[in-house]
Amino acid sequence: MTPRRVAVTGIGVVAPGGIGVPAFWDLLSDGRTATRGITLFDPEGLRSRIAAECDFDPRAHGLGPAVTERADRYIQFALVAADEAVSDCGIDLAAENPWRVAVSLGSAVGGTTRLEHDYVLVSAGGKRWDVDHRAAEPQLHLAFSPSTLASVVAERFGAQGPVQTVSTGCTSGLDAVGYAFHTIQDGRADICIAGASDSPISPITMACFDAIKATSPNNDDPAHASRPFDAHRDGFVMGEGAAVLVLEELEHARARGAHVYCEIGGYATFGNAYHMTGLTSEGLEMARAIDSTLDQARVDPTEIDYVNAHGSGTRQNDRHETAAVKRSLGAHAYDTPMSSIKSMVGHSLGAIGAIEVVACVLAMAHQVVPPTANYETPDPECDLDYVPRTARPRKLDNVLSVGSGFGGFQSAVLLTGTGGRTR
Amino acid sequence: MSAQRSGRTAVTGIGVVAPNGLRTDAYWKSVREGVSVLDRITRDGCGHLPLRVAGEVRGFDASAFIEETFLVQTDRFSHFAMAAAGAALDDAGLSGKAAGSPYSVGVVTAAGSGGGEFGQRELQKLWGQGSRYVGPYQSIAWFYAASTGQISIRGGFKGPCGVVASDEAGGLDAVAHAGRAVRRGTDVVVVGAAEAPLAPYSMVCQLGYPELSTAEDPAVAYRPFTSRARGFVPAEGGAVLVVEDADRARRRGTAIRATVAGHAATFTGASRWDRSREGLARAIQGALDEAGCAPEEIDVVFADALGTPEADRAEALALTDALGPHGTRVPVTAPKAGFGRAYCGGPLLDIAAAVLAMEHGQVPPTPGVFDICHDIDLVTTRARPAELRTALILSRGLMGSNAALVLRQGEQA
Amino acid sequence: MSNTELTVQELSALMKKAAGVTVDPQDLTARVDTPFAEFGVDSLGLLGIVGELENRHGRALPTDAERCKTPRDFLDLVNGALTTGG
Repeated sequence: MTPRRVAVTGIGVVAPGGIGVPAFWDLLSDGRTATRGITLFDPEGLRSRIAAECDFDPRAHGLGPAVTERADRYIQFALVAADEAVSDCGIDLAAENPWRVAVSLGSAVGGTTRLEHDYVLVSAGGKRWDVDHRAAEPQLHLAFSPSTLASVVAERFGAQGPVQTVSTGCTSGLDAVGYAFHTIQDGRADICIAGASDSPISPITMACFDAIKATSPNNDDPAHASRPFDAHRDGFVMGEGAAVLVLEELEHARARGAHVYCEIGGYATFGNAYHMTGLTSEGLEMARAIDSTLDQARVDPTEIDYVNAHGSGTRQNDRHETAAVKRSLGAHAYDTPMSSIKSMVGHSLGAIGAIEVVACVLAMAHQVVPPTANYETPDPECDLDYVPRTARPRKLDNVLSVGSGFGGFQSAVLLTGTGGRTR
Repeated sequence: MSAQRSGRTAVTGIGVVAPNGLRTDAYWKSVREGVSVLDRITRDGCGHLPLRVAGEVRGFDASAFIEETFLVQTDRFSHFAMAAAGAALDDAGLSGKAAGSPYSVGVVTAAGSGGGEFGQRELQKLWGQGSRYVGPYQSIAWFYAASTGQISIRGGFKGPCGVVASDEAGGLDAVAHAGRAVRRGTDVVVVGAAEAPLAPYSMVCQLGYPELSTAEDPAVAYRPFTSRARGFVPAEGGAVLVVEDADRARRRGTAIRATVAGHAATFTGASRWDRSREGLARAIQGALDEAGCAPEEIDVVFADALGTPEADRAEALALTDALGPHGTRVPVTAPKAGFGRAYCGGPLLDIAAAVLAMEHGQVPPTPGVFDICHDIDLVTTRARPAELRTALILSRGLMGSNAALVLRQGEQA
Repeated sequence: MSNTELTVQELSALMKKAAGVTVDPQDLTARVDTPFAEFGVDSLGLLGIVGELENRHGRALPTDAERCKTPRDFLDLVNGALTTGG
């Protein structure tokens, strides 16, 4: 039996530098950066005091107090991105069988920003272990439960099929899209609202990445601090945001005459079983994930037109994934543009994988490869074509997005153009 | 990828860390005898909170199971998960490095509360002393993916690794996820969930759940399906399974303790227990369909048993909606009434109990429950002998998920 | 204790606290050129040791500290930094 095919029919995004798909694509195609000094809290005393923040006013996007009281910032992002994606796909969800509509959303740190906020209240500023519950806010339990994300989004759209929140660190977004792909492929739903969201710009999350020196300390030049693949890269720049895709069984989309952006051709994830934060220099496990997606879609490595990199801008990550892509694509890797949008929108932990998949969908729609901003000085260990600073027109039929996450997760999603299947 | 595959997912290993037993055999003994271990919460800094009763895992010495290099960088919830995973791998005869390719073994966990105790300690350092006092392990101990990552690293497992960060029903979803990974070609998946939600701040976070029982007396705090149902009590712990393709298990001569035959999940909204009736009934029907199982084949039901009147009524009615007249005749049980609901770990403990019940031919009782006010055959007081070939496990989550899983009896190697 | 030298005994205690690695101080003295990795101290463990020392002494250590491969390299670097004042 041929597996059911899965189409992307709607996209939505909340990203630093502009809310919504048009603003997001403008930023990427212009090669502008949205990294700056942190304004969401006073970062005094931190090693890394910069981030890519969203200028986000929930009221401007139709979220009233009834929603914002219950939904933390990261869930608000997801709601706005989901509204855009559902509107974009043109489905009248009220007319669909709700038991065939699924939700699969990722988040690495979920409600930690609210958890930290209330922790300060109940602990008298970190003074007591036996915290005082009377100081807590009434909705705290919603921040405690990671499944609040998928639950709130499912309720908004009346989805009653399988609803899940995925949390695999920084591959959460890719994996949420991957699980959604499987959900439709296996016939457990016909439509899936898929994506990821995180709003991790808070003292505890910044401090924990400070502690392992993973974030860039380039506080004097935030606009140029995120430098994936550049010889002078010195860590990632924290970001925030959300992206949502509407995935739909291909025949279901065709039957209603929907615009199909592309198909999900394959998805795979493996563990590196090596280290919770460390990466090998060989990238064997990521290469295996890439190989698996190519096998699933029956796409030859030489048919890959663009690799959207994890490209966090840490020393080890960029070396690791350069090795992985060379292992999978062979000599063709040198002819394949590979860029990191984290240079522009920062690294929003679990959200970024979904934001990057949306960037890939847009790249295919526009037939333009987004650049790696700030890339100036080549690193001998990173010797591929990273599309320095300027977007590049290119025929894009098969596009790969890859990611690595704390815990050892190595994931890949392959997007194929509607005419891009070779067999 | 093996040549011959049955497409059926076998359970070949079970590891348990529960309030009523730190090992699988001790757990089954308590479950079979209907022992209740619910008690006043004794953990440090919790005594003043209005949540009084829970199922605490007591006497658990993590260093007896896990190397200190792993212990320093992980929370209690991962200690439970690593200990249970180790026991499950032993049980499956797969301890030490797995034979064959490291890519042939994957890891999936469900997590609903994360590393709360570790996180609270680091938050206290940050806000009490300053950001420089936050240690390097906060970045890997607090988040929901910690247990999957550590089990993968500790065992050298490079297969598909995943985390369902979910409400309670995610425990069943994780097992189904593992089963699908096996059907896609992974030889073995270590799958489970364990939780440690009894640190002071984690408990404060749970106080907002309207379904939480804040009773003072352990004897009456959690009494599902009775007229005195007043909510649930939380618990620590969980269970981990080793699942693999049934043919592969036979080839390597391992006992198949049970097979995962069917699963389905639905969503009906947070705390909308009236609507969970239809959601749960549809999940049951979906799981039966996938298993190719008629309603009459179900020999025992492990209930979700949330313990509020509305939720209990919805579950009892869902059984009849999905199973017809058999829904009022099939033996139903809720061992968790004796030790509490361990969030995502709860359904895994139910699966473990269901496998053991089928192996021993006994439906364990629902501890502390006598006066049932719903039209179901709830097994109480003592275990009931019965030939059990097929078990149905139900779970609903506080955020609105419903799930059902069908298990079939195993076979000796 | 802001200007005292880091001793092998203290390093041994820090390895236990920050990385969960138990090495007897005498054994550590004898194996002072053995890579940290062979003791089971990984990059995060060494970062934890560095953080602990920085907080104790109220000053930053050189950025190379967490890249030291062996206890001897680490002791030399840390003690060089701590005893030179600035």
